[in-house]
Amino acid sequence: MEILYNILTATIISGSLSIILVIAEYFFANYGDCKITVNNKKEIVVKGGGNLLNALAENKIFIPSACGGRGSCGFCKVKALDGAGPVLPTEKPYLSASELKDSIRLSCQIKVRQDIKIHIPEELFNIKKFKAKIVEIIDYTYDIKGITFQLLEPNTVDFKAGQYMQLETPKYEKSKQVISRAYSISSIPDIKDSIQLIIRRVPDGICTTWVHDYMKLGDIVNLVGPFGDFYIRDTEADIIYVAGGSGKAPIKSMIEHFAKYQSTRKMTYFFGARTTKDLYLTEEFQEYEKTMPDFTYVPVLSAPSPDDGWTGKTGFIPPYFKDYIRDPLNTEAYLCGSPGMIAAVEKELINLGVAKDKIYFDSF
Amino acid sequence: MKLSPEEKRIMDKMQPGILTVDGFLGNDTRNLHEILQEDAETIEAYGYTAEDIGKRMRYFTERSKEAYEEPILIDQKYLVQQDIWRGKVVCPFPHKGLYTKADIHLKNIENNIEISWTPLNIHFIEEHGFFEGKGSKHRIDPETIIKALF
Repeated sequence: MEILYNILTATIISGSLSIILVIAEYFFANYGDCKITVNNKKEIVVKGGGNLLNALAENKIFIPSACGGRGSCGFCKVKALDGAGPVLPTEKPYLSASELKDSIRLSCQIKVRQDIKIHIPEELFNIKKFKAKIVEIIDYTYDIKGITFQLLEPNTVDFKAGQYMQLETPKYEKSKQVISRAYSISSIPDIKDSIQLIIRRVPDGICTTWVHDYMKLGDIVNLVGPFGDFYIRDTEADIIYVAGGSGKAPIKSMIEHFAKYQSTRKMTYFFGARTTKDLYLTEEFQEYEKTMPDFTYVPVLSAPSPDDGWTGKTGFIPPYFKDYIRDPLNTEAYLCGSPGMIAAVEKELINLGVAKDKIYFDSF
Repeated sequence: MKLSPEEKRIMDKMQPGILTVDGFLGNDTRNLHEILQEDAETIEAYGYTAEDIGKRMRYFTERSKEAYEEPILIDQKYLVQQDIWRGKVVCPFPHKGLYTKADIHLKNIENNIEISWTPLNIHFIEEHGFFEGKGSKHRIDPETIIKALF
């Protein structure tokens, strides 16, 4: 009984102290204005007390984050040069020993309480937050939609074919918070006032459930980007593309970009699907074979049903590569899909003589 | 037993609409430590550990990748197929880690028991002994999974 009494007393005392500390911080902790110096060239002044990720976003510097600053994705890393305070226990699980040694921190976990100096990759300065309106929704298959977003503010975007945006989905019946997820841009860079994303339903996924079951024309959302280093290299090499499902999004952007300029590069796109129900945009890609004489579209079904009447290629994709690669040393590959698919495709391409550093991929 | 602040934080992250649409607790009214304890007792009664089960799940998950999302017969007894989705999910327990979104379906063709799991389920079981709450979409009843996998 006495032990229980002591535990209860200690709990009440520690609880009361915690409440007092929170109240005191709310009323008395005034950190004033704090200066954040980014890459020794940009200085922003913010009201102290908030977290660094939000402070930067409010000043139009967007650090990639998949969890919206809840400390659960580990994406929002920055190099903290000065003033960031000690590493918190909430950050340590997401940081390797070398990152800790290199002063890498999670920006969502850093409280701005004094002047801070940080370093971020230069390309992040090009990232913007866009307010956008949904103007078109296309059902490509039973579980894949193409959504076009008209950009409102800012009203134009510059990106490279293959890059991605983060879509913020609002709070809705099945999500208690705003969340953001990354999706590849499927439209071409020449169209600057809108973008299209291709989004496949993910079972139990918060964002794709909203997209597939709740989103409607006219909805206003936020997009942040563009991000990513999966984009077409400026060479004249032959190209092998491999992607199925929603992995078609960045490849569509790349090939449509080439089609617009009637590219003469030799390109082959292997699109993997299970049955004919999973095929989409087939006619459009076959049309590109007419406008680009050296472009070939090769859909491959892994499990066509007898009802499909499928007469095209079947099975796995890699065995077909040898029929389409004319000069492995002058071939690049762009792959988008699961890690297993990418590993298998990469292995076969290397076996055939394609250089490993010419194989670019966007892994799910 | 009263919830510790740590346990409450974890259970908050397991609610629907936080990390996944349906969360990880289903309609289970028990606290996390009670769920863990009851399931641990069940697998112990069968002579297995959570590590044994996790290792077996990992074996089938890795083998099924050989078939690139098509069904594959493993060890002449297990029909396994894996669907892989875009994106990753974090664990609600406090540590580093992102887990591929995928569903692995297994049918034991000797006893016709069918189960499904995700890569996060493997981690839950191996590292935390957590089979999810009753009524949760991805809960795997410990007794059923033992009968299916061994």
